[in-house]
Amino acid sequence: MSDTPAIDGLKQALRRLPGVGPKTAQRMAFHLLERDRDGARLIVEALGSALERVQQCRSCNNLCEQEVCALCSSARRDAGLLCIVESPADLASLEQCGAYTGRYFVLMGHLSPLDGVGPDELGIPRLEALLDAGGVREVILATNLTVEGEATAHYVGELARERNILVTRIAHGVPLGGELEYTDRGTLARAFSGRREV
Amino acid sequence: MRVQQQAAFVLHHGHYGESSLLVEVFARGYGRLGLIARGARRPRSGLRTLLAPFQPLLVSWSGRGELGTLTSAEAAEGAIDLSGEQAYCGLYLNELLVRLLHRHDPHENLFDIYGRSLRRLQQPGGSEVVLRLFEKHLLQDLGYGLVLDREVCGNSPIVPDADYDYVLDRGPMPAPAAESGVRLKGASLLALACEQFPDAVALRDSKLLTRACLARHLGGRPLHSRSLFRLGRRPAGSAGKGQIS
Repeated sequence: MSDTPAIDGLKQALRRLPGVGPKTAQRMAFHLLERDRDGARLIVEALGSALERVQQCRSCNNLCEQEVCALCSSARRDAGLLCIVESPADLASLEQCGAYTGRYFVLMGHLSPLDGVGPDELGIPRLEALLDAGGVREVILATNLTVEGEATAHYVGELARERNILVTRIAHGVPLGGELEYTDRGTLARAFSGRREV
Repeated sequence: MRVQQQAAFVLHHGHYGESSLLVEVFARGYGRLGLIARGARRPRSGLRTLLAPFQPLLVSWSGRGELGTLTSAEAAEGAIDLSGEQAYCGLYLNELLVRLLHRHDPHENLFDIYGRSLRRLQQPGGSEVVLRLFEKHLLQDLGYGLVLDREVCGNSPIVPDADYDYVLDRGPMPAPAAESGVRLKGASLLALACEQFPDAVALRDSKLLTRACLARHLGGRPLHSRSLFRLGRRPAGSAGKGQIS
């Protein structure tokens, strides 16, 4: 059986979601059309309003509904601390831990030459402008501990150092509740080289 | 087809489906190939930390055709740790390999040189020499080896003090040559030939030469890893360190 153009279009559209292949897209499309038409309307409205209202914060690059997000405009956050993260999800994790009271900058990715992502594709020029504006006394690099994340951290670190701003990197090592016996070699080596006086 | 415990390096990886990785691997006896690491992105999978670039690995896979399935991976002896600019250099080597090697085309000699280059990059300083020599061997392995010790017409040996125009795909000719080429000193050609760089001129000339040759085979698309070396992109005098790539 061949689908009508509308059903086919819906399936194609759903396949744009991450992790959705042709089978899943078909299941979703038929579910919405057969059993959950109200749900489908809800999705249309939510998607429409999100597209209209959500934009990137002028200061930190994160997704928000105002020109400047709540975190950046809050007087309680220390504007002298700037934490660099790769994605809004990373920012949310750090916020949940509650240990940080400064501001953020979200790169929306990491440097990855093989994927064609260089400094200009990330928000680097915007970050430079932010650092040039002054007021930041410490840049905390909280990019992921992958080769690309480390390369990104190094790149951003250089930018900050050139402007005589203190640069720090989040610690890496044995996780809480972790046992040395089951920790991988690379992590243990890092934990060792990053030991500190107690 | 099943392949067991092959020495290999990961060149690059991307997401594959919801929980898997598509890993671009450079294996000693098999060349560059794409392997799917099933479940590698699940939180408890140890594969994710293991399948990082620059780590010497022993990998096993199965399957024929374009993509294989990774069946196991373990760390081989001698972990390599590249950070900062060294990591940029490593990413540059990886980009060259991904762009220039065809899949399933074994390059055993180049594999050994790649491993040695990564190890040498760990040592401070000298990264430019490592990159130039790797580029030279890469071109040689691809079948575009440079002619460095004699003139291309007439076969006379290269004179260190003379100027030459290196005409791409042919070789050095006494300057000024009828065809356009890369202008460099005879001493620089000999330095790249014997892999000893006595001065900055030899290194700079070698860089111009390998860059021009590589550009010819890269098909006009730029190498993105070069944009990481931002100190070289800045106007002269704005930064202390020199350009590397």
